[in-house]
Amino acid sequence: MTTAAFGTHNWGMVVDVDKCIGCNACVVACQAENNIPINTQDRVERARSIAWIRVERYWIGDFPDAKAQFIPIMCQHCENAPCEPVCPVYATYHDAEGMNIQVYNRCVGTRYCANGCPYIVRFFNYWEPVWPESLRNHLNPDVTVRSRGIMEKCSFCVHRIRRVARGARSAGVEIADGAIQTACSSACPTSALNFGNFNDPNSKVSKMRDDKRHYTLLDQFGTDPNVIYLAKIDANKKVGAGEASSHG
Amino acid sequence: MQQRRELDQVYTNRKLLNGQLDTPKWWAPTVSILGVIVLLGLIVIAIMINKGLGVTGLSRPVYWGLFITTFVFWVGISHAGIMISAILRLTQAEWRRPVTRAAELLTVFSLLTALVFPLIHAGRPWRIAYWIMPYDVARGIYPNIRSPLIMDPVAISTYLIGSSLFLYIALLPDLGNLRDRTAGWKNAMYTVLALGWRGNPRQWKMQTVGGILLSALMLPIFVSVHSIVSWDFAIAAAVEGWHSTIFAPYFVIGAVHSGVSAVVTMMALMRWLWKWDDFIRPEHFDALARPLIVVATGWLGFTFLELTFALYGQDAPEIALREMQMFEWPWNLLFIIFFLTAYAIPVPMWLFKRVRTNIALMFWTSILVNIGMWLERFLIIVPGLARRTPFVYTWEAYRPSAVEWTIFIWSFAWVTFLMLLFSKFFPLVPLFEQKESQVFTDDVMIGRAKVPAIVREAD
Amino acid sequence: MASEAIAHESEHHAPPPQVAAEIIARELVATTTGASGRFKVWAWFLGIASIAGIVALVLKFIDQSDDSTKWGYVAAMVSFLLSIAGGAPMVAMAPVMAKANWVRPVTRIASLFSFAGVATIIMLIPLVAILPPLVTEGARRRTIWYMAPDYSPHVWTTLSLVLLLVTGIALFYSAALPDFASMRDHATGWRQRLGKRLARGWVGTDSQWRTLRMRIGMFGTFYFLILVFVNFLVTSDFGQSLVPGWRDAILPMYHTVSGFQAGVAGVVIALYFSRKYMKLEKYVHLDAFWSLGRLLFALTLLWIYFFYSSFIVFWYGRSENDIATLNLQVRGPMMGVFIAGMVLIWVVPWWILIWNKVRRGTGAMVVGSFIILVGLLLDRIRTFVPAWSVPPDQIHERWLKVIPEAYWPTLFDVLIMAGGISMVAFIVMMMTRVLPVLSVWQVQEFNLLSKPIRYIRGHATLVAKPD
Repeated sequence: MTTAAFGTHNWGMVVDVDKCIGCNACVVACQAENNIPINTQDRVERARSIAWIRVERYWIGDFPDAKAQFIPIMCQHCENAPCEPVCPVYATYHDAEGMNIQVYNRCVGTRYCANGCPYIVRFFNYWEPVWPESLRNHLNPDVTVRSRGIMEKCSFCVHRIRRVARGARSAGVEIADGAIQTACSSACPTSALNFGNFNDPNSKVSKMRDDKRHYTLLDQFGTDPNVIYLAKIDANKKVGAGEASSHG
Repeated sequence: MQQRRELDQVYTNRKLLNGQLDTPKWWAPTVSILGVIVLLGLIVIAIMINKGLGVTGLSRPVYWGLFITTFVFWVGISHAGIMISAILRLTQAEWRRPVTRAAELLTVFSLLTALVFPLIHAGRPWRIAYWIMPYDVARGIYPNIRSPLIMDPVAISTYLIGSSLFLYIALLPDLGNLRDRTAGWKNAMYTVLALGWRGNPRQWKMQTVGGILLSALMLPIFVSVHSIVSWDFAIAAAVEGWHSTIFAPYFVIGAVHSGVSAVVTMMALMRWLWKWDDFIRPEHFDALARPLIVVATGWLGFTFLELTFALYGQDAPEIALREMQMFEWPWNLLFIIFFLTAYAIPVPMWLFKRVRTNIALMFWTSILVNIGMWLERFLIIVPGLARRTPFVYTWEAYRPSAVEWTIFIWSFAWVTFLMLLFSKFFPLVPLFEQKESQVFTDDVMIGRAKVPAIVREAD
Repeated sequence: MASEAIAHESEHHAPPPQVAAEIIARELVATTTGASGRFKVWAWFLGIASIAGIVALVLKFIDQSDDSTKWGYVAAMVSFLLSIAGGAPMVAMAPVMAKANWVRPVTRIASLFSFAGVATIIMLIPLVAILPPLVTEGARRRTIWYMAPDYSPHVWTTLSLVLLLVTGIALFYSAALPDFASMRDHATGWRQRLGKRLARGWVGTDSQWRTLRMRIGMFGTFYFLILVFVNFLVTSDFGQSLVPGWRDAILPMYHTVSGFQAGVAGVVIALYFSRKYMKLEKYVHLDAFWSLGRLLFALTLLWIYFFYSSFIVFWYGRSENDIATLNLQVRGPMMGVFIAGMVLIWVVPWWILIWNKVRRGTGAMVVGSFIILVGLLLDRIRTFVPAWSVPPDQIHERWLKVIPEAYWPTLFDVLIMAGGISMVAFIVMMMTRVLPVLSVWQVQEFNLLSKPIRYIRGHATLVAKPD
């Protein structure tokens, strides 16, 4: 049962790779929602771009039979996160709701967490973020603007979670399934990204997780992520069952 | 080969105090030039802290680069001091005596320099000073002791404090000596520093016991420091080139290799600059170079094991990383230089006694070793991060910027500068050790041969 | 400086007696004959135990050669015997390179252990037949043999162990030439004839001595390299490659270093008994025990350092194969054995050997050495037994999915282990009947190079360090 009390949820995401069309709407939504600095050409060229969620594109097969496949990658919010034990100041830690929390105030910018992350989803602010005058008023007041010298990463839109949880608590009701949507999941036109509570067996994500296509990324590292992927179905492939998880 | 001469105490005093009681001609210009470089480096560091780490060449995923490499390098160099002073003291190797002070100094100054790098390479260094260093719990959160980055400062500062004490205890008799030979403010300074040293039996006994105790206590710290530095890397399971169980001893033995080579470099410089031909003799170079052959070969063995067991799993990412490290431009060039300078050129040369006793050759080969050992750390740290990983669209994007190179050069100027400054006020060759070695060595006639001998405790 | 004998206050501070070279030779050669009754009883007992061990090995092979999971204790035995027999001669090498004087009387007894390599090879023979080949059921398991032919581990491990034995004997023989000459000059009967034949015309010319020293240096260096290589092969082929996902780069070094520890402990024990029962107090000074004690102390610390270096990396790594490795080796069914081993290798000996007084005596030193040997046996068991108990059909997995049950020793295993250890002791005992247990020329040299002197108000030794 979902209750509003803190610590009783296990937030997570189910990404249906089969539905992803590589439109990058999630990426744009995330940039706008989370006050992510603009990735100028210079920053991208120097490999310093920041994208809390990114869509990786892979070419399968050779021309002319080549096909593009897409997979959205964001912080996997691992239960066994390699980034957490190495932070000297507890700037990143695991909270009781299954999330990997980044505390900007504590961060001193050793970048050790980023080295340990097998998914490379942690980003360092090499410069003080600057927005053009026209965008200044577009910043989201709920999200801290990160100064230079600290790490940042996908937060599962923690401000949205907290806002809904607060509202539910003061109203004395439980958080309804689907009441919380991250920026990326609400922007996804094909519902490839789904956010919800894994502790509730009846939630949408819990049901999706039971799909036999499910897998996690880089499971050999034993990270136990809270982001579950559903494998792509290859329509041209002859035998199917049980083979699906070979995708990752 | 009989190089040992009977040297009387007056001559020893005069020669070994030539840096303090008068100033060599080259000293002032050298120190000024170094001072300018140091100042420049400090300005660049200030600029970097002011502007942010964007001025470096770091990127994603190469989050650690030249700074961490240089940090590991200097921590490695710092292993020379205790290696030479403590281990050789405990094993009663007589030839250690003239080089102990210089080696300990190298430890202290290189540690001081090494500590700068993790500080300035952090995103917000001012917060590090507040949150890690003073260990106050004003935040209500104790630092995360699971993190090697907390174990690092603990180990390094313990090592720094221990080595400073060690250095100071060994300095006491010489301070007393200097106090008796100076006047004015210098005399006042030495009087305070000498802590009332008069050289009576009780003081000698305490000084000796203190030295031996500190040696024994420092040895585990010595091993722990570089082990912990290596665990900074080794515990990261996701970085193929780093996650190896052999890292701790591998780093320690590599550190000894580079540190002792640095001492050899310093010994040659001391002999040339202060004209201490009577004190730092070819036999000392010979004695240092012989264990160095063993250490270097052991280190090569560890390198081999590290590589073998990296490929052992036969996993594609691991093999790809090693291919990149060894065969892909520009790493292949660095790898070749690394292998040639760290082992293939110097060590076979040291097999010949003629090389080991040739000071110029020892000087240049020891410098080669340190070029190679710096590259070794670079080749572990940077390719490990710059490798191509799954699900990432950026990789291999690191080129150290001018700012990083300047700070890198600054670190060398800074250590030399501190050394020279120290040499103005304190003797670089311990006088009392030198005199003690005169007493503890002798020649015995065996048949018709005159054989050098040393005095040992009876059993 | 004055070298006359000086009156001394206490026994402990007495300068070691100076004995004439001639007397040294005669007395030491005399120790080879006239074994006491107790010696004979022990020799018979150990000899019978060795034969029982070999018989048990043969019976086990006939019975269980089709099931490799039951052979862990024999593998542990190969490793343990390799540790003692291979590590001990290193005592004769390492300090010699550092020009240490105390080691001279000890070198012979240390290099006698080379012959015990025979026991290691005997244990290896059935294992070579049982070790699964690199490719089984079309799949190749992870080994150091990336593209090598299928039976590479079997061939090379055997060859390298034989090479180690041969090199050890060569090292022994090259240093024993002058002693065979002493046998020729002082012994009687078959010992004299053997001495005459093996001394190969040794008369002690300058060029003969030069050749001798060159040979010792050469074989010693070679021996060390082979030893590291053998450890590398045994640990990776007979340990790591049998467990999917076990990848421990430090294990060969860990094994070498703890093998050296076992070797030193073995030497201390052998030295203690020969000193006591052959009345060699005059030649084996407490200085030797003191130095061996410090070496042993350093090695116990090195053991925990090497163990911890690998442990912490697995512990933090937390990836699937890291966890599986820890579960198999440390936390799993072998946890008790591991803890007992750690206590006996590290905690207890460390606490015994830290005292200078202990290291300057013989009794506690020998107790500490026994404890270390027992601990190392347990350590070898916890390393190799779980590795062999992994069923061969899981050997190609990416990591170990199911931790196998512990395999506890049967009567055969106990007999084999007792037999292997007895064989080492038996071989060393028998070798003391062939050659003096202390090297005659080394003892002579020791006396020549160290002189008791009066130093200020006490005694000291003046030790010559020839180039």
